Amino acid sequence: MAQDRTNSEDFTGPLKRLLLAVLLLCLLGLFLLWRIDSPRVERFRAQIVDAVVPNMDWAMAPVTGAVNILRDFQSYQNIYEQNQELRRELRKMTAWKEAALQLEQENARLRDLNNVQLDPRLTFITGVVLADSGSPFRQSVLINVGSRDGIVDGWATMDGIGLVGRISGVGANTSRVILLTDPTSRIPTVIQPSGQRALVVGDNTGKPFIEFLENPDLVRPSDRIVTSGDGEVFPPGLLVGQVERDAGGRLRAGLAADYERLEFLRVLRDHGARRVSQPGGLILPEELPGADEPAPDVAPGDG
Amino acid sequence: MNQLLTWPPAMADRSATHLWLIRLAYVGIAFVVLFAHLLPLETTPRLFAGPDIVVALTFAWALRRPDYVPMVLVAAVMLLTDLLFQRPPGLWAALVLMATEWLKSRGGRMRDSTFAEEWLVVATALLVITVIYRLVLGVLIVSPGALLLSVIQFAMTVIAYPLVVAVSYLIFGVRHATPGDYDAMGRSL
Repeated sequence: MAQDRTNSEDFTGPLKRLLLAVLLLCLLGLFLLWRIDSPRVERFRAQIVDAVVPNMDWAMAPVTGAVNILRDFQSYQNIYEQNQELRRELRKMTAWKEAALQLEQENARLRDLNNVQLDPRLTFITGVVLADSGSPFRQSVLINVGSRDGIVDGWATMDGIGLVGRISGVGANTSRVILLTDPTSRIPTVIQPSGQRALVVGDNTGKPFIEFLENPDLVRPSDRIVTSGDGEVFPPGLLVGQVERDAGGRLRAGLAADYERLEFLRVLRDHGARRVSQPGGLILPEELPGADEPAPDVAPGDG
Repeated sequence: MNQLLTWPPAMADRSATHLWLIRLAYVGIAFVVLFAHLLPLETTPRLFAGPDIVVALTFAWALRRPDYVPMVLVAAVMLLTDLLFQRPPGLWAALVLMATEWLKSRGGRMRDSTFAEEWLVVATALLVITVIYRLVLGVLIVSPGALLLSVIQFAMTVIAYPLVVAVSYLIFGVRHATPGDYDAMGRSL
């Protein structure tokens, strides 16, 4: 028995060390590969997510529903205050509704005068939020439409009112939306009415920073922020939110989309969107100086 | 099936079936935790990070019964969480695997030490891999996320560790192997 045991340990000891070394090499190799060629590994990640998360959906939907019902029940406790507040808001809103109706009529008349054609390409696909990022370090949601429904990396995503994020990672049945609040999110915008261009930079808080303003003096709190269409990242003119000033005096974007409850998201079809098919695909120029011909991955027909 | 129903599992019941059932339970718990994290309840940024239950569970079981958390299983589960939680794939999994193997090698000696000592060892291991994780990401110019959130997550995991140990003892009967125990192959543990 004792002889037996030492034999097997002699055998399994080195074998275990070898297995550990192989596993560590595989994992660290994958990490380095991700660092070097991020788009390829991210596509692999999207496929894994696509295989795993929809299988959980049958349980996720009822659990999410139940938790939301519980939360709503808690909010019934202060229903009276809520009611009063809603009445006050409603009075304000009726005034705004009147203004909006007048503007709509005026807008229709002006359009008629100009014979404006709305862009027929700017249609949308609606998806339901399946899951969130699951980690406090990243802000993203997974929606239940994917390449099967024609979703393409880089398209803009909105809720009913404002911009929510950008598609990044498409599987067959699911795609990931990187929210504007994610630390990696950078959106080129223009601030109305001053026309100042700026980047809305996510920093893992509810209100992203406004950075790279040319002249911050021209920008006031409650100015509107819309996408600028610079760099072909997004179609221009999508509402992002309004300018706010935080306690430290820095400008931040109060987002128009309701991030508290992201349930249905619209993905805007945008056939001009630039895709990221290689590392640095968005920031490098299409033709590198000194290169005779453009890189094959970003051929004109690609977008 | 019987082995899971009888509690605490008798020594004679430590058969191969029981071993595989408890490994299956490990994967099951990991999936339940993943599921709970992925529920789309929190779409606004949080100021707070919860404990990393899967890591705490892996460490607790590695110290008690190394055969319950084989290397391949730990690597697979951690890689899956990396992929689903939008972390850089592979790095955290590799670090957790290294820490788990280190704890396994200490497990035999920890059998007679107090729980406070064990807690300290686990906290140190977790601190070391968290620091290495952030350093490697920093060196490779990948944003490792907010430092405060990392600190909160580390602290919460350390605080949750005794709870995880208690639950795995009460529900799954995971405890230190005693000198009389034998594994499925008849080897002493």
